[in-house]
Amino acid sequence: MLEVRDLVKRFGALTALDGVTLDIRAGEIFALLGPNGAGKTTLIGAVCGLIRKTSGTVKLFGIDLDQDPVSPKYQVGLVPQEINFDPFFTVSESLFIQLGYYGKRRDPARVTEVLRALSLDEKASSPTRALSGGMKRRLLIAKALVHAPRLVFLDEPTAGVDVELRRDLWSYVRKLQTGGTTIILTTHYLEEAEELADRVGIINDGKLLLVEEKSALIRRLGEKKLEVRFKQKIEGLPEHLWSAGAVLSADGCRLSYVERKGRPSVGEILRLIYAAHLPVEDVETRRSRLEDVLLLVLRGAPKPEPASVPAREETLRGDELLGVAVRDK
Amino acid sequence: MNVIGTKTLLSKEVRRFLRVPGQTVLSPLISTSLYFVVFGYSLGGRVQEVGAIPYIIFIVPGLVFMGMANNSFLNTSSSLFITKLQGTVVDLLAAPLGPTELLLGFIGGGMVRGLVVGLLTWAVAAAFTGFRLAHVLPTLGFVIIVTYVFSMLGFLTGLWAEKFEQINFFPIFVMLPLTFLGGVFYSVEALPEPWHSISLFNPMVYMVEGLRYGMLGSSSLSPALGASILGVVAVVATAFAYAALRSGYKLRV
Repeated sequence: MLEVRDLVKRFGALTALDGVTLDIRAGEIFALLGPNGAGKTTLIGAVCGLIRKTSGTVKLFGIDLDQDPVSPKYQVGLVPQEINFDPFFTVSESLFIQLGYYGKRRDPARVTEVLRALSLDEKASSPTRALSGGMKRRLLIAKALVHAPRLVFLDEPTAGVDVELRRDLWSYVRKLQTGGTTIILTTHYLEEAEELADRVGIINDGKLLLVEEKSALIRRLGEKKLEVRFKQKIEGLPEHLWSAGAVLSADGCRLSYVERKGRPSVGEILRLIYAAHLPVEDVETRRSRLEDVLLLVLRGAPKPEPASVPAREETLRGDELLGVAVRDK
Repeated sequence: MNVIGTKTLLSKEVRRFLRVPGQTVLSPLISTSLYFVVFGYSLGGRVQEVGAIPYIIFIVPGLVFMGMANNSFLNTSSSLFITKLQGTVVDLLAAPLGPTELLLGFIGGGMVRGLVVGLLTWAVAAAFTGFRLAHVLPTLGFVIIVTYVFSMLGFLTGLWAEKFEQINFFPIFVMLPLTFLGGVFYSVEALPEPWHSISLFNPMVYMVEGLRYGMLGSSSLSPALGASILGVVAVVATAFAYAALRSGYKLRV
């Protein structure tokens, strides 16, 4: 689908992309994550023809962009990060123009369909300048999708879009994927990547630090935290809990524990607590999210090795067996 | 070749200037009409005739030329510059539109505006002086190549410009003086030396005289020379624009 090899982009002394190599599989949702200025938008720009690369190769659908920069573009859609709109035209005119640019004939049914999918159908005849910020963002998405591309780049697609519409958009993106569209996403809302992505790539200072299946990454680098509140103050923890790594708060009313590789599971700790007849009032567990994992990787967490992926499913079952209220924050 | 894409861009460019007709069509029409009234009537009363042609008729081709050249130039330069400014240039860069498609769309739009203004100017003039068209094909040829050349020059300026001020640089500091000194309102033949010889270095003189030959049937200079100069400028400007688009000059960082 998309093959990027040793891609380098320098802006004067600044190296925005430092030898990026990446393969995107057909039909996947790939999230490109990293701090501001990491090179996400530059990478998208180099693939979409907005940026002149310094070196390296980019192949779209098997076609080297150095040989043919134009024809692969028929199948690509881009939602740029910066909002843009042409104030001379209405919402639906903008979409007809976009369809035409991609060599497609005027197709009112298709335009209506895309407008409806992005909840813009009521604004079809409004001038684009009259749209709110969130609507302008959705118009950008509509423009990127109206020609039904096989590969879509969504660079911060939901910035400034309210929560409800963001959810709608996510379900639309999943629907696109079901229809066979490949999606490359950058986002500041890690919840969005967590919700949508099949694989994630983490980029920093122009270097691609890691590319991994999202669930495998969270399993590998994630932690699980346990917090137990007691009905009354406890005078010290039993020795086996304490030696397992559980910590009692200074006021003696709370126990906290972090499950990591090589330590007892949260389920095991809970079993020990109940076995010691401690007066449990409430139990909370919190599992690492993509956000925590991203921070770990940016701070230099190890790259994936197939053998090092631990199985964590049993610990989950442990919680359920004990029948305690498990709240996932 | 993306034919539908090219047609779409062309029609977008035309609709863009038709959305603001007061600014893009009416205002040049009023200014050229004022030139016509002021120079034609007030000055015409004193000059009477230039080479057996009444002065008021003599200035018509030059006014048509000015309307076409200015508006072709302004359309491409401001449209491309605004596209860069408002960020919609991303839509063009990401779309399957190569240099050929982009040039055809933008230049076509500029030419249509130049032709519309030129035609309207001529219609206004004809209302005062009656229709007069000596050579149809040479006139048509000049009209097409003039609007093409100035659309292309506008495109290059819009590509190069990073500030609004730079858009106006060429029309104000180059086009305006060269047109006014280019025999729109007088015949360069009538100028004393050294101004006559100096004027012959002004390419606008040949363009205006060429159109004058087409429309009025007589001119003091060879229309073939005017056509050749326009042809050379057209080829050079097109080559520059094509190379700039291919390399991504000022469009792709």
